[in-house]
Amino acid sequence: MLELLDAWLLAPLDYGFMQRALVAGLALSLAAPPLGVFLMLRGMSLIGDAMAHAILPGVALGFLAAGFSLPIMSLGGILSGLLVAMLAGSVSQMTGHREDSAMASFFLISLAAGVMLVSMGGSSVDLTHVLFGSILAVDTTALLLIAAISSLIVVALAVIFRALVVECLDPLFLRGQGSPVSLVHGLFLGLVVLNLTAGFQTLGTLMAVGLMMLPATTARFWSQRLEGLIGIAILVALVASSGGLLLSYHLNLPSGPAIILLAGSAYLLSALVGRHHSLLARLRRRATPLGAPESD
Amino acid sequence: MMSRLQLENLTLARGGRTVLEHLEGRFGDGAITALVGTNGAGKSTLISAIMGILRPISGRVACQVPKERRAWLPQQLALDLTFPMSVEELIMTGSWPSHGALKGYCAAHYRRGREIMSRLGISHLAHRQLGELSGGQRQRALIGRTLMQEAELLLLDEPFANVDVETVDVLMDVLRDMARDGATIVVVLHDLEQLSRLADDVLILAGGHGRWATPASLLEHYAGQPPRAPRLPLTFPDTFDAGTA
Repeated sequence: MLELLDAWLLAPLDYGFMQRALVAGLALSLAAPPLGVFLMLRGMSLIGDAMAHAILPGVALGFLAAGFSLPIMSLGGILSGLLVAMLAGSVSQMTGHREDSAMASFFLISLAAGVMLVSMGGSSVDLTHVLFGSILAVDTTALLLIAAISSLIVVALAVIFRALVVECLDPLFLRGQGSPVSLVHGLFLGLVVLNLTAGFQTLGTLMAVGLMMLPATTARFWSQRLEGLIGIAILVALVASSGGLLLSYHLNLPSGPAIILLAGSAYLLSALVGRHHSLLARLRRRATPLGAPESD
Repeated sequence: MMSRLQLENLTLARGGRTVLEHLEGRFGDGAITALVGTNGAGKSTLISAIMGILRPISGRVACQVPKERRAWLPQQLALDLTFPMSVEELIMTGSWPSHGALKGYCAAHYRRGREIMSRLGISHLAHRQLGELSGGQRQRALIGRTLMQEAELLLLDEPFANVDVETVDVLMDVLRDMARDGATIVVVLHDLEQLSRLADDVLILAGGHGRWATPASLLEHYAGQPPRAPRLPLTFPDTFDAGTA
């Protein structure tokens, strides 16, 4: 029994690339889910997806300029992500159109531009790598970058946490206090871009969003409190990234999709049997009789 | 005499159209001023200007109340009711503006939160989610947040719309107490009966101008009408003697 556990859980970690992959996954799992929770609560679940496409042209430009250099590609990704977020924000402010329509337009332009750039400069193998990542190819530089960005996100979130909560809950209250709502909003989008950039190496630009959103949407079935949502989302992400990594090692599966599919299964399972709003919770719906003490 | 909130030759516009012109006057410290007028008379516009969100075309709002002590309860709530937050947590957010971004709550905060909830009769709802509250309960919780904020300037846009009688009584008592403690309160009202119970001063907005009145003079003007005429008339005739505020 112990031998089996050892063979399944610990033996893979004898390899350096597995150790690095695990640490990278765990670092991302701490930073991404809280961002996902806020995106979800603000009804911006799909914005993460849009932003993921927005970093692609920058990554591609970095790739064209310096070859497969992670720091350069990341820098390009951050710049183009922020640029698209700012452009979308200012277009929607200038025209009065909703931000999501501006965002949709810009991310489609970015995606096309990014794919065009990658295929001009490299082979289709490179494109697959950028789009889907490979967590097993994380080197020490990449690991340091991912860990640094994740730490920065966690600290920054802690600082803007209250403003972010008030902005989600009641933007007028925040405006009344004279705090610039757009600053908090901008900072938050900046953190999303940073996180996606850290994630693209391991999960690819397209699937980095998965580790952000799926744990958050899963947590919604288990908690009605913000702290609970964030805690559960992080837990789901930790389990999914380490479990997905082991699955991909043993069954010879691509690591990114394995991680995201594991998180996805957690979501589907929770939708069926979760504590709140799930199918099961709906079937078992009962009410406490009038006059009974509140039970929570 | 100075007061903490004064309007000085204030002209306000919305979307290129002048809404209010040459507004003058001062809101008494520790007084409740009723803001009356028809829809579109500029009540919400004036409130936005007082909150510092709308820049005046000319003139100014002189407000000496620090921003963290200003509270605004708009009529159309921007409050996201699906947000996972309990009544107690909502009330505690009132301490954030003065308490800072990072510090945790101490026991005194929680004690104060509980006092506020019991004052408003919502102690039993402390752990209820915002989305599960009735209109009246929600209004009590929001007033609770302004109490937690120790607001010295409170702007309320029709706080008693869609609220049950009992809640109206509780909220009026609380507002009276806040005024007694020195808070400046401005409240948009349509109901003459509520106005007579609550207001010390009245600012009537009509035809782009403001006119100060006392509740007594306003009531006297409508004395001949049914005792509980619920709505103020659409226009104020020139013959109407506003009295002295």
